[in-house]
Amino acid sequence: MNYEPKGGIHMNHMTLAPGGIVIVRPAGELDHHTADSIKREVSRLIFGGKATGIIWDLGNLQFMDSAGIGLILGRMRDLGAVDGGTVILNPSPTMRKMFELSGLGSHLAEGTEEDAMKRLGGILHGK
Amino acid sequence: MENEMTLSFAAISENEALARMTLTFFVAPLDPTLEEISEYKTVISEAVTNAIIHGYEEQRTGIVRVHAILDGREVTVTISDEGGGIDNVEEAMQPMYTSKPERERSGMGFTIMESFTDNLTVDSRRGSGTTVTFKKKFSPVQEACSSVG
Repeated sequence: MNYEPKGGIHMNHMTLAPGGIVIVRPAGELDHHTADSIKREVSRLIFGGKATGIIWDLGNLQFMDSAGIGLILGRMRDLGAVDGGTVILNPSPTMRKMFELSGLGSHLAEGTEEDAMKRLGGILHGK
Repeated sequence: MENEMTLSFAAISENEALARMTLTFFVAPLDPTLEEISEYKTVISEAVTNAIIHGYEEQRTGIVRVHAILDGREVTVTISDEGGGIDNVEEAMQPMYTSKPERERSGMGFTIMESFTDNLTVDSRRGSGTTVTFKKKFSPVQEACSSVG
């Protein structure tokens, strides 16, 4: 199932994969101005009971400031209610530094979205 | 090389990208690395966002001023607002501190700015606005790369 958020000039692509894992692929520049539409879409899936884990694939993101950190931390808080997991893929070197400064380093992963799905499946099923 | 610029704009979130873009063009002649540019843009974005969200509480009538000086391979950027100011700068600069937890701010803005600059000063008084000044040095252009072809 694919979700195309409405109303944004940034083509942020979102996929709901089997097992309730949302793959979010933000594109362009993620700042305080652009974070809000992604927040609404992802929160809607979490509170609609459809999402139990999130993969943030940042490979198409050209820029991110601390609004991106706030966005991911906020959705981790939303997921807390359903005990879900978070994996971050393909950050730029600058984004990686920001995640590590913010204590999100343990959520960074190497590999593909499929690898991240397996990792999240393991977290979600307590393996 | 010496250069100088001033930019003023309304305190609306659309202008965060305008400030990043303009200040990126300003240092483009130095041919910075992708990572240097990315860090520099992040610092600008943090300071401008602070002015809009915290300084002016998103009242669109506020004006954000940006001033930049290029001296050799070092840029000095001043970003100022005439908004509400910060009561306790030292507290505001602590990692994870945010005055607006309900607004999904990470509280990492100043920590990131300090990490990505060579020098950062924050001058603020309650009721009389905030001025953030940072310096960033760009590394010398790598001759090995430019001699290819």
